[in-house]
Amino acid sequence: MNLERLPNEEKLGLCRKYYLIGFAFLPFLWLVNVVWFFQEAFIKPAYSEQLQIKSYVKRSALGLLVWVTVLTTWITIFQRFRAEWGEVGDYISFTIPLGTP
Amino acid sequence: MCCISSFYVFVTWSQIFTKPPCAFILFAYFFKIFFYFSGVGCNSVEKKIYVHLNYTFPCVRLLNATHQIGCQSSLSGNVGVLHELESEENLDWVLTSGPNPPYMVILESRLFTRSIMMKLKEGSGRVAGVVVVAPNINPPEGFSPHTACPNDNSGVYTENYDPTLAHCNATVWNPLGNGLAYEEFDFPIFSVKDDNDTRVIRQCYQDHNRRVNGSNPQFPLCAMQLRSSMSAVTNTATCKRRNDINFSLTPDRVCDELGDFNIWASSRPMNTTTKGHKEFESVVIAAARMDSRSFFFDIAPGAESTASGIVTLLAAAHALRRATQEAPPNRTILYTFFQGETFDYIGSSRMVYDMENNQFPLDLDNIHSVLEVSQVYILIYLGLWLHSDPVSRKNSSVKEEVEKLVNGLKSASAGLNVSVDEPDVSQPLPPSSFQRFLLARPIPGVVIGNYRSSFTNRYYESMYDNAEYLNVSYPENMTSEEQLEHFPETVKTLTEVATLVARALYVQAGGNETQLANITADPQIVNQMLYSFLVRANNSWLQQLVPTDFTNHLADRPTNFYVGVIQYFSEPTTLVQYMLANMTGSVVNVTQEDCQKQREDKDDDQSKHLYTYMWVQGAAPPNSTEREGFCVRSTVHRSIAVSPAFELHEYTTSNYSTWTESVWKPITGRIFLVASHDLEMLTLGVGITVLLTSLVLTYVISSKADILFSSGREPTSATY
Repeated sequence: MNLERLPNEEKLGLCRKYYLIGFAFLPFLWLVNVVWFFQEAFIKPAYSEQLQIKSYVKRSALGLLVWVTVLTTWITIFQRFRAEWGEVGDYISFTIPLGTP
Repeated sequence: MCCISSFYVFVTWSQIFTKPPCAFILFAYFFKIFFYFSGVGCNSVEKKIYVHLNYTFPCVRLLNATHQIGCQSSLSGNVGVLHELESEENLDWVLTSGPNPPYMVILESRLFTRSIMMKLKEGSGRVAGVVVVAPNINPPEGFSPHTACPNDNSGVYTENYDPTLAHCNATVWNPLGNGLAYEEFDFPIFSVKDDNDTRVIRQCYQDHNRRVNGSNPQFPLCAMQLRSSMSAVTNTATCKRRNDINFSLTPDRVCDELGDFNIWASSRPMNTTTKGHKEFESVVIAAARMDSRSFFFDIAPGAESTASGIVTLLAAAHALRRATQEAPPNRTILYTFFQGETFDYIGSSRMVYDMENNQFPLDLDNIHSVLEVSQVYILIYLGLWLHSDPVSRKNSSVKEEVEKLVNGLKSASAGLNVSVDEPDVSQPLPPSSFQRFLLARPIPGVVIGNYRSSFTNRYYESMYDNAEYLNVSYPENMTSEEQLEHFPETVKTLTEVATLVARALYVQAGGNETQLANITADPQIVNQMLYSFLVRANNSWLQQLVPTDFTNHLADRPTNFYVGVIQYFSEPTTLVQYMLANMTGSVVNVTQEDCQKQREDKDDDQSKHLYTYMWVQGAAPPNSTEREGFCVRSTVHRSIAVSPAFELHEYTTSNYSTWTESVWKPITGRIFLVASHDLEMLTLGVGITVLLTSLVLTYVISSKADILFSSGREPTSATY
């Protein structure tokens, strides 16, 4: 789909849809939303729907940031302490690397 | 073939990069088709780079309740520049001064000592692995990688039992034991035989890595990759837990428990279907252990530490067959062979556990006494020692029975060339299966061995405890048949010991002393058994005693006495089973079908509770090639030898053995030449530069295409 050819109302609808579906634990959708609509929201000359698109892109970016922070923190803690947690560490692991504690 | 396949590679690439004439393409496709159908897979490049090692013995990872022992490489194998260690002082090159770490250290077996190995372990950042060259002659100074106090924490001598006897306080049984086999190494350690492989390794080292006139060796250097990647880690509880997690995409097992089967037979038939206490049954247990180990995975010759005991007890059982059938003593003799005793008494602890829980045809109340045959290889004029437990002897009835047993053994030795004696009264029992029975209750018993207060075996649980050590050697030019008829000196002394044991057992079981003269062990049988265990199991004698489908399992090498994991049969277990059936059982006239269905005839449904029937392949008559099989009826049974800890799912218990063996990826070793790090980096750098240049060039060309390719010609669209 080429964003250029879309009327502005549909752009807004699309942006809102991506933003809303992103709440279903889909941070990557927010990432797509940010990348895809960045030009529309911040670079293109102003048009009536731009303000709303801008707000959706910002919120998507914020959500994405929260996700990235939470995941990075958790992954760091998990990788660092999995061996020390012993039994619990094993039960919450999906794959356990062979031959390491 | 290899050059043809490289040619094929060339042809395929030339198709892509050039525009070859049609005939050439057809030619190439012809080759392609040819190779598809002929199935030639020739990895010429790999063969030119690597030399694979064929006969290597790795050290593997074992785990118990508290820790891990053994060796491990990284997932893809450890790579290091070869360095042959000449002396302990030479270690400095490996640990600090050598310019090309990590090193793969080649050790002569005389340098495979605790002090060197521990230094290598400490400096493991610079050590990629160790290769031990196994010599063809045993080291005269002795070597035992086992601990000085074997099975220290699983025997009866704990702080509660008697603090003065705990942890070998009274006497150290294995003074040569350096404990290497119970250390943990985070690099691979392999053993190679001193033959072709070793020559190739040494040649490669001499050609490339040797320092000439004190200058550092120049690249390319000879390197080795050893791969023994172990899946299990930390301890048994961890690996058992990871075995049970089936959540992952690839549910791999990471470890398996050590264990196999105990073998036992009774001197008179006993109903094995009913478990628990048997009324009016009193048994004398005659025990021996069936396993051994060494530092490396599949070499465990256990000649003195294991085979001498097995052979003696089997020969004694054979000597007793006639007497126990014609003049049966009051008590039953139970010949038992325990498996996995090296690893904290797996077999005996399980049998005691089964007896306590009514899972065995007898219980502990049925046991009258125990006579255990330990290491009994003796030279002429050297005596045997009768060990008993000073703590349980405080009980007067136990003391009385022990004295009777000792006196029985002493009087049995009267007509023989073997002297028997008792060590100091306060001395504890040596490591023995009998300790697990004492742990349950005070049972009178004696352990018979060739040592007084420490093992005379200089190679206890090592790869040198072999036929050579027992002087079981045969002249070079003999055929296998002749070797079976040739008696080494060891056979004579072991026969005497077997006679002694047999007579003592008969008296202990309450037999009539007038029969004793008829009880003598057969040197022929002793020789055949020794030959089967220590030289090769695949011989004409043993072939007669096994079923046809088992002949493939008879090996052309000394028996490996390592107990192994429960999924695999341990070699000695089955050999002992068939030998014991032959020694104690009798040939019965039963058809093959009935024999395999465990019955005497069609209407017989009782015999299977008392006997085991085995159809063995027998020998071929002189003028025929067809073997004539026969049916052996015996009282030989297997009972499971897996530690009760696994039955109870108590993986952190200190009461029972918790040994497990890690699962591993294929174990390989190979040598090759490596270039210097600088050259490797240069090659990589040039490659990346070429890639980047080509990317830039492509971009420039495509963006300026209309200028570059217009070349003064009129645009084609303009003509219309």
